[in-house]
Amino acid sequence: MEESENVLRILQETKIALEKLDVIALKSLSNQTVHTASVKQDSINIALAVVVYSLSKIFERVDYRKYPDWDKLYKTIIDSIDGSIIAAKNKDENKLKIHLEKIRKSISKLSGNFKKYIEEVFRKASISKASRIYEHGISMEKTAKLLGITMYELADYAGKTGISNMPEGQTTDVKSRIKLVENFFR
Amino acid sequence: MTPPQVYPEKSSIKIFTKGKVIIFDASTLITFAMNGLLPEFRKLKEIFDGKFIITNAVRKEAIDNPIKIKRFELEALRIKSLLDEKILELPQVIGINQVDVLKLTQELLNEANSLFIGNGKEIHIIDIGEASCFALSKILDKKGIQNIMAIDERTMRMLCEKPENLRDLLQSKLHTKINYQKLKNKLFTNCKIIRSSELIYLAYKKNLVRLKGANVLDALLYAMQFKGCSISHEEIEEIKRMK
Repeated sequence: MEESENVLRILQETKIALEKLDVIALKSLSNQTVHTASVKQDSINIALAVVVYSLSKIFERVDYRKYPDWDKLYKTIIDSIDGSIIAAKNKDENKLKIHLEKIRKSISKLSGNFKKYIEEVFRKASISKASRIYEHGISMEKTAKLLGITMYELADYAGKTGISNMPEGQTTDVKSRIKLVENFFR
Repeated sequence: MTPPQVYPEKSSIKIFTKGKVIIFDASTLITFAMNGLLPEFRKLKEIFDGKFIITNAVRKEAIDNPIKIKRFELEALRIKSLLDEKILELPQVIGINQVDVLKLTQELLNEANSLFIGNGKEIHIIDIGEASCFALSKILDKKGIQNIMAIDERTMRMLCEKPENLRDLLQSKLHTKINYQKLKNKLFTNCKIIRSSELIYLAYKKNLVRLKGANVLDALLYAMQFKGCSISHEEIEEIKRMK
């Protein structure tokens, strides 16, 4: 109950942020979705995390709005968010999934470079959200599978963040580990 | 349907009981492959008196799935060549039954994924490939075969070495109270874990690294970190002081 209300709130606030072209609000909403996606690990919260983050990236790029397909994309996004809001209000998970997927599928209707750019935004959004979930303590393989990416993509991205420097990650002193490997090869 | 059992020749089992095993997780193989350090990996195998083993689940993550994706096809092929050359081998070669690994993997997965509870829900923290490394390690322990695991990703290492740290991390990142169910049995304890960083340090120390020069160790260790090895800046600096 509480969860579906949270999804509805995120969607409603996303709609407001889109109308105001408020990229900062979209990013903040995207961050909020990661906590829930990490715990619940369900397709709706994961899709929501990726979609909201992708929207923040798409709306951040003012030059995208010059492309002829922009209006078509914008209309699909708004229609799908509206549809998602109705589905969330009705607690209809299947329809909610369909509307969220529709945003991603709308890329296929775009053309030329714009299509490539938007595809890349969604791909990178999946990797970025995966890295955040990994940062939260979910394993690399588990996270990669949840987001539908490879461990290669996640390792490459996560390696460039500060995740490995987090103090909780230091579990055994490095000298002991070196000694272990040296003894094992002796 | 039960998968067919593959038994190695008796002679190889006999030889092997005196050897050692390093069990590789996909994360460690990926770090070596993405850094172009598989030649060094081969040289490490040459000086090792034992087997480098991967489970079938790890093979799937490091080779079978990425080989279908153009972006990672080359790295996957490179790791596959390690299998073809028997640098890496599957557990069957040391007489380990795949069904036994699968059975224990499932048991470990169930245990690991019910340890931490947040908002009334079990948080699933690891997946099958990762759990299969633990399973194989436990089976080898039982058979008295010395083994260590090479794992670059952070969660599994924390789960095994300091599960309290993992609880604290989940708690602070998820902004919610995490209940930690103490381990029902000792399946995750007494695991020995190394990372690609320790392996490449050894390769450097044994003069197995192709590049030579003053900054090579620094470059190697940071390259490992940048491709996903969970080693901190402080740990890297400490290793450098040890050379």
